[in-house]
Amino acid sequence: MGEPPDGAPRTGVFARAWARALSGTSYLPMPQAQLETLLQRLTDLLAQTLRTEPLDLRVGHRIATELVAAHIVSAEALGRTLEVVQLRLLRDLDLVADDMADRMARLLAAVATGYARALRDRTLDEQETIRRAAMTAQVEAEQALRASEARFRHQATHDALTDLPNRTLFGQRLAAAVEASAGGGRRLGLCFLDLDQFKRVNDSYGHRVGDKTLISAARRLSRAVEPHLVARLGGDAFVILVERSTGTGDVVAVAEAALAALSEADVVDGNDVAITASVGIVERRADDTSPDELMRAADTTLHWAKDAGGARWELYDAERDTREKARRALSAAIPTGLERGEFYLDYQPLTSLQDGSLLGVEALVRWRHPQLGVLRPDRFIGLAEETGLIVPLGGWVLAEACREAVGWSAATAQPPYVSVNLAVRQVRRPDLVQEVRALLRRTGLPPDRLQLEITESTMMSGAEEPIRTLRALADLGVRIAIDDFGTGYSNLAYLRDLPVTELKVAGEFVRGLRAPEAADERILASLVSLAHALNLTVTAEGVETGGQAERLRAIGCDAAQGWHFGRPAPAVNILARVKGGAPC
Amino acid sequence: MSGLQRPDWAPETIDVERPSVARMYDYYLGGSHNFAVDRAAAQTMMAAVPEAPLMAQANRAFLRRAVQYLTDVGIRQFLDIGSGIPTVGNVHEIAQRHTPDARVVYVDVDPVAVAHSREILAGTDGTTVVQEDLRHPERILAHPDVRATLDFSRPVAVLVVAVLHFVPDHDRPAELLRTLRAALAPGSHLVLSQASDDGRDDAERAEAEQVYRRTDSPLSVRSRAELTAFFDGFQLVEPGVVWVPQWRPETPEDAEDAERAVFLGGVGRLGG
Repeated sequence: MGEPPDGAPRTGVFARAWARALSGTSYLPMPQAQLETLLQRLTDLLAQTLRTEPLDLRVGHRIATELVAAHIVSAEALGRTLEVVQLRLLRDLDLVADDMADRMARLLAAVATGYARALRDRTLDEQETIRRAAMTAQVEAEQALRASEARFRHQATHDALTDLPNRTLFGQRLAAAVEASAGGGRRLGLCFLDLDQFKRVNDSYGHRVGDKTLISAARRLSRAVEPHLVARLGGDAFVILVERSTGTGDVVAVAEAALAALSEADVVDGNDVAITASVGIVERRADDTSPDELMRAADTTLHWAKDAGGARWELYDAERDTREKARRALSAAIPTGLERGEFYLDYQPLTSLQDGSLLGVEALVRWRHPQLGVLRPDRFIGLAEETGLIVPLGGWVLAEACREAVGWSAATAQPPYVSVNLAVRQVRRPDLVQEVRALLRRTGLPPDRLQLEITESTMMSGAEEPIRTLRALADLGVRIAIDDFGTGYSNLAYLRDLPVTELKVAGEFVRGLRAPEAADERILASLVSLAHALNLTVTAEGVETGGQAERLRAIGCDAAQGWHFGRPAPAVNILARVKGGAPC
Repeated sequence: MSGLQRPDWAPETIDVERPSVARMYDYYLGGSHNFAVDRAAAQTMMAAVPEAPLMAQANRAFLRRAVQYLTDVGIRQFLDIGSGIPTVGNVHEIAQRHTPDARVVYVDVDPVAVAHSREILAGTDGTTVVQEDLRHPERILAHPDVRATLDFSRPVAVLVVAVLHFVPDHDRPAELLRTLRAALAPGSHLVLSQASDDGRDDAERAEAEQVYRRTDSPLSVRSRAELTAFFDGFQLVEPGVVWVPQWRPETPEDAEDAERAVFLGGVGRLGG
């Protein structure tokens, strides 16, 4: 064997044929020229190996490995390679030797073996990398899922504006805290905190500044009361959970720290935003309470702080809460009581001091409460006035008084008038005059047998409207009395201008009559002469003794009312007295 | 996986029980970066369209010649959207052979393909991998890794190769491409290729679509005119939009029976 002189061109011819054979067997990631260069080098190796003694089969493996490394990796590529080498290599390169066919078979076997081995390794490697990639992707996806779940959980349990825990999370923490503290006699507390008149910040500076103020307030609060949990309940309301409290003082200290932190000067977008807050504090043994109770108590206490003017803390007071709850319950029961006929009237005589005759009676409302028994008006009139229920209740009293008073007409030539108290809210109603006129028409009660008692404050509080109403009522012929005269502003101007027929002097002045020549007697005397000068009659209230009655008569007072002249009694007793002329 | 079915905060789940077009493509190219489910889907596809491996190979060869051309005209930055499984003959391998400082960003929506790319490319200078969807080009362009790798004040070649047929018309592919174009400096290039039904009969078309419907990505084949319209704003480089083997072939024989490759492709240059 020897080197053929024109080896290079011959290898080139073969390499090109080999390249053509491989075309389309698999994706060849290289230009044609590059492929031919590679195959030419491998052709040289093949030729050289075939010529060399002894035959080195490792070269066959190496050639196969190079093919696979160059991504000539298909079964077809191997088949075509074996084919083209077998068919053309010896002829194209003019390789001649006795044992050439034998050598060629052994070399090709080595190429095929090496190729299969390299391809198998490559396949295993690729399978491994893609599996690893799938696992990595799986782990990443799970991490991302967990992260987004955590983010979602955070969003669900935190306030978006301030990033403080929200009501939901606070509720969970509070429940856990109550549960954890139970049994050991441990205490805990809450501070319900609300910014005072925060709407003004929004109104004055806009919601952007409002929001930033809330964020700043939240930050300052959290810092000031660390490590206690601060949550935003919504709007400008926050709550602080104080666990492991040793007593009220601990929670008060937290509230004071919170108030101090919020009162610090704050500049938001160049605006000096001053805020104050109110705090409702509740602190108690965990065993004695529940989360709901704590929240409610703290909320109630916050309202006390607000009602007291804000910029302060208030401590929960169970007695006050019970009292207020009872009042609210009573107030809520008024409409039902009216529906069920639980209210009724007693009447107290207004007696002439001149001749002891019964001039009139004052209607006094009673409530026969199904649980609480008979209630006097001081238990529920105030409530009814606060809630506005005084309007239907007062309306009922007026109608009932008129209805019963009509029944006394037949019994005597001089039946007493009935005096009914009117609340401010009733006087302010535009349809009061209409209501009274209709009532008189319906019952047939002569107008001069109805007296309406109003307080001084009714006159002082309103503007023109109540005065017009009173004039219209007077025009109907109804008597108008000023109740509790002498305890309010006692404005003399309206006594001159208004169609008032009577002054009722408060019992305070009458009580002073026990001592002779007392200042109260002089005041009363002046009052009576003043009233008479204005053509008004005077009735003294709260007359309890004969002595007082005597002094009043001496002063010239027209009439009197009080235990001395008769206690409040049902309509039947009044009727009996009218008939028999006997005292009640 | 569609943005419409999944809230933004919810990450994709990995489902290796479903065929992935990236791994099917790898199988067509003779790779082993695929699972049984991918091979089964690929074989079904090949039963319907026997040329499928040829299509993949022709398309891959087009990508190679296109990137070679782009490096020849001086492009040094590449944004390969829908890069799939990075088998041999990646963009950076082709580009960096002649331009060692070429920078390449690979983008794919398939998390396994992305994980695989990251592994393959670890330690390779000038390359980065981003998991994102062609349907959100604004996210791709804003991605910090993309911005850290590519300088959009200089020419960039955007490669959208063998991907657009997975973007149905209702996802507004032309608009997506316009968004990408708006971010590019003059001298930038766009490389597109996609499956075309020019010259296919209805039965073949239906059968192929049927196979892809079972994968993550149903197939939207388009005509030559539609693909040409996608180059709106770009000047097509010779020979324009052609069957991929006809695009600047190395030898005249390479371009024979070109329509069997099913893919149309072209390269456009952004003037100015």
